[in-house]
Amino acid sequence: MHFADILASLIHDMKNSLWLVINTLEAITAEPLPGAETDKVFTLQQEAKRLNTNLIELLTLYKIENERISPNIEELNVADFLEELVLENQATAKAQRVNLTWECDHTLSGFFDEGLIRGVVNSLIGNGMRYTATNLLVSAAEQEGYLVIRVEDDGKGFPREMLAAQDVIDNHLALAEGRTQLGIYFASMVAKMHRNKDHEGYISLTNGHRLKGGCFAICLP
Amino acid sequence: MTTFNFKRHEIESKTFLVVDDFGDMRGMLRTMLSSIGVTEIDTAINGKEAIEALERKHYDVVLCDYNLGSGKNGQHVLEEARHRQLIGLDALFVMITAENTREMVMGAVEYEPDSYLTKPFTKDLLKSRLEKLVIKRQDLQEVETAVSTQDYESAVRILDEKIAGRPKNLAELTKQKAEILYRAGEYEQATAVYEKVLSVREMPWARLGLGKIFYTTGRLQEAATMFEGLLHENERFTAAYDWLARTLLALNRGKEAQEVLQRAVALSPKAILRQKALGELALKNGDNDSAEQALSQAVKLGRNSVYKAPDIHANLARVKSRRGDGKTALKILGNMEKEFKGSEESKLHAAMAKGIIHHNMGDSAEAGIWMWQAGELYESMGPQVSADLTLEMARSYGELGDRDKAQSMLRQAVQNNHSDQELLQKVEGLIGELALDVDPKSFVSNIRREIVKLNNKGVELAKAGQFREAVALFSEAVAAMPSNKVVNLNAARVMIMNMRETGMEGDQQRKVRELLDRVRLMDPQSPALRRVQSMYQDLMKSPF
Repeated sequence: MHFADILASLIHDMKNSLWLVINTLEAITAEPLPGAETDKVFTLQQEAKRLNTNLIELLTLYKIENERISPNIEELNVADFLEELVLENQATAKAQRVNLTWECDHTLSGFFDEGLIRGVVNSLIGNGMRYTATNLLVSAAEQEGYLVIRVEDDGKGFPREMLAAQDVIDNHLALAEGRTQLGIYFASMVAKMHRNKDHEGYISLTNGHRLKGGCFAICLP
Repeated sequence: MTTFNFKRHEIESKTFLVVDDFGDMRGMLRTMLSSIGVTEIDTAINGKEAIEALERKHYDVVLCDYNLGSGKNGQHVLEEARHRQLIGLDALFVMITAENTREMVMGAVEYEPDSYLTKPFTKDLLKSRLEKLVIKRQDLQEVETAVSTQDYESAVRILDEKIAGRPKNLAELTKQKAEILYRAGEYEQATAVYEKVLSVREMPWARLGLGKIFYTTGRLQEAATMFEGLLHENERFTAAYDWLARTLLALNRGKEAQEVLQRAVALSPKAILRQKALGELALKNGDNDSAEQALSQAVKLGRNSVYKAPDIHANLARVKSRRGDGKTALKILGNMEKEFKGSEESKLHAAMAKGIIHHNMGDSAEAGIWMWQAGELYESMGPQVSADLTLEMARSYGELGDRDKAQSMLRQAVQNNHSDQELLQKVEGLIGELALDVDPKSFVSNIRREIVKLNNKGVELAKAGQFREAVALFSEAVAAMPSNKVVNLNAARVMIMNMRETGMEGDQQRKVRELLDRVRLMDPQSPALRRVQSMYQDLMKSPF
């Protein structure tokens, strides 16, 4: 048995557990709770989701390193895709009093690996919720032959060192910190796996795109 | 016809089957569905129970976890449900996975689920996904109905109308259109669709489609180059391996074909059909080690799969016997007969293999008895017997040293399938393998020439207006080659032409239907069959 198979089977089991946790918590929050209890449950909920995101990243990165994965590029309706992503995260967003919205032309189609990009955007939304003040916007548009998916917030924005380092992907590991570090590395690996003719996907970090905070863009050819 | 207006509450009225090996998961999915408003929800705890439930009752939606513990997994359930038509064309099969399992499932795939849902998901997501799937399914219902009755012209027309509206799922519709054109034998049109797609963007499915057209139209070198190119770009594109192997085989490069399949099997060891193909190919190449390995795997995988088949067991028994282990070989056949109890095909395979095994063990009397029984069983199966079985019979006679019978079986195979290039090549290969006393190429081409000549003569008679003579000629040919599709169809064609000229005739009408039915049983997808069928329909419509 390959390590990857063991890993996959363990992750399967862990995900079942997490799913039960997340859903049980969702059932609890469906009813109004006494004040202080609500926050505690929300914390649990959010941490469970974070664990889940980490698991996905871990497994995907393992597969990338060992070349056990190649992107399965399909044509997808981007509006449907974003709608689902926002729907998945809406409960957590509400709990944290974050206004999570999406924006995309309904006829926009994109070519990408649904599972991989879903993992990336989910992780970006999770991060965004921690750093935003009130608004979190997920949007997509076609720009110069690339599909650009953005997750932006109205928080303080990315620190200057992170903005400066983004041209050198490997430096991300050194400069970014903790949780964000893995997220950025994961996103850039997944972006790079998307190729079309001579073009390769990439990520870009800016501040003050449409909202005043950080804007993380993943650009796919 | 009912209205296509989609109502948002429609999901609530659907019947659901939830399949998961964990009680907590089943409970949670049930709660989720109830909170959406679904009332009819059944559950199954493993693949076996799921199949039993599907046999008993009609379900609109199956929510099935990929990982179901030991026994069948979700893909097995899907394959069996679709293959045995336990669920309708309009039913939805949604696979629930822990991660993006697509790549691991992709290796198989005759059938794909309608959608994948990655755990964990919320009830809102489930609801939104199901609603979209129902709308999509309704949108394509007309196309699917047309395809299921082989009315490809209508299917393409409906798709063209949809495509003209620049819908959300443009690529999917385009892909479907090209596939239908390919199936209908409209290779030029299908090529045009694929090339148009590729002019905008590199899409592997379009390249694969072009490669298939090259293969089918005999442009084998181009096909091989195309499939190799695809694998160079993406070494996990398993469908390209299958087609490359097939192409190499057609180019008489059997050893290379085997290597290609071995690479694919290394990537997706669970794909039973591929293991089976590899085992058969290795057997043919005389590579007993690889044959044994692949066939053992295929037998093992067959325990959970709808694709289990007696010939896998029989071939494994042959390999064992070749290596001098007759006892194990007989044991394998014993297990096979238990597993496929009541199957005529299994009995025939068992009889043939036993003949070989006893022969290899030096007991020619026992071998003769089994082979005699195989002959009886074979005869009793009638004209619908598959060409592969005919070849197996030839192989068995040959290995037992009965060259005359081997040769007569091969003659039968060629006569009944004289336009099937893949089969003709197998025949030539077998003649070499069995060291029969004829030249492979001329053996095949002589028989072929006779049939082609006869066909041409009949067609000329018809052209000259001598329909009665043409009918007589083809009727005789059908009697001699009851499984030859071309001869059957030509017979039907001249009968239709005859009736068009001289008026309907009950006896001949019945005969035409019989011929068409026979071909339909052998090859329901045949484009030639479709053409004669529509000729017949036109005849029935025309006023006399």
